[in-house]
Amino acid sequence: MTKEEQLSIINDTIKKTKYNLKPLGYNLVFWGVLIITMSLFHYFFPQIVQITYYSSLIYWVAIPLLGMVYTTYYNINSGNKLGYETQLGRVIRIIWAVFGLSWISIVVLNLLHDANPVQDILFLLSTVLIMSGVIIRFKPVTFGGVGLLIFTIYTYYVPDINFLLVNVVGITFGMLIPGLALYLLKKDE
Amino acid sequence: MNKETEKLLFNPIRLKTISFLMTVETCTFKALLNVTASSKGNLSVQLKKLNEAGLINIEKYFQKSYPTTDYSITKKGKDSFEEFYKQLISLQIKK
Repeated sequence: MTKEEQLSIINDTIKKTKYNLKPLGYNLVFWGVLIITMSLFHYFFPQIVQITYYSSLIYWVAIPLLGMVYTTYYNINSGNKLGYETQLGRVIRIIWAVFGLSWISIVVLNLLHDANPVQDILFLLSTVLIMSGVIIRFKPVTFGGVGLLIFTIYTYYVPDINFLLVNVVGITFGMLIPGLALYLLKKDE
Repeated sequence: MNKETEKLLFNPIRLKTISFLMTVETCTFKALLNVTASSKGNLSVQLKKLNEAGLINIEKYFQKSYPTTDYSITKKGKDSFEEFYKQLISLQIKK
């Protein structure tokens, strides 16, 4: 084997190792659909969600927790199928795991203090989306994050804004649309 | 880099394995089979040699009652590969 052949083997092998973008796209779409559905259900049926003082807290914690269990199971399965984890994949996994824990903490703390957690969550989500988009070099996710950040800042200047509708708009443009773009992408990076 | 490591990386399957492990955290035997396009028996032999030389880690455990093996590169493996790669590049530049 010549030195050129050795170099060619190394380069070809490294090129074959791709970070699979589909699971991240699927996760974004899943969470986008879940949160939008939950927000719309809360908006149209407040009498059901807010039936008791703590029912909305349970609603906004229990369902996302079930979602986390499902997405964790999905991610473990897709990782097992692939058979390896890249450094990039590990970074993205850690970022989103920390986001999940922060999300639950923000919801619990805000609702216990009788505050609405939507703006805090959207702010956190926008920063995580920007980080993810920049790391995987996928512009729709980065732009989705930037758009969501601008939109979240804007909501601070609008009094009496309906946070459930803010959630629907923010998650649609920040999570659902970039997630679909990522999921439908044919090539991996 | 010592001659022994250089000799180890002269084999295409071992070189593919080390190159692949440089880019991933851990991987399964199946993933290595896909990357190296070799037979199970041959790959097992080459992995054993790399493990004996201290270039890779082999971790065996049970997942859902099934025996599973994960492979990762060691610090020595990373250093050896980097040195090997630098040598290849410098030789190419000299040409």
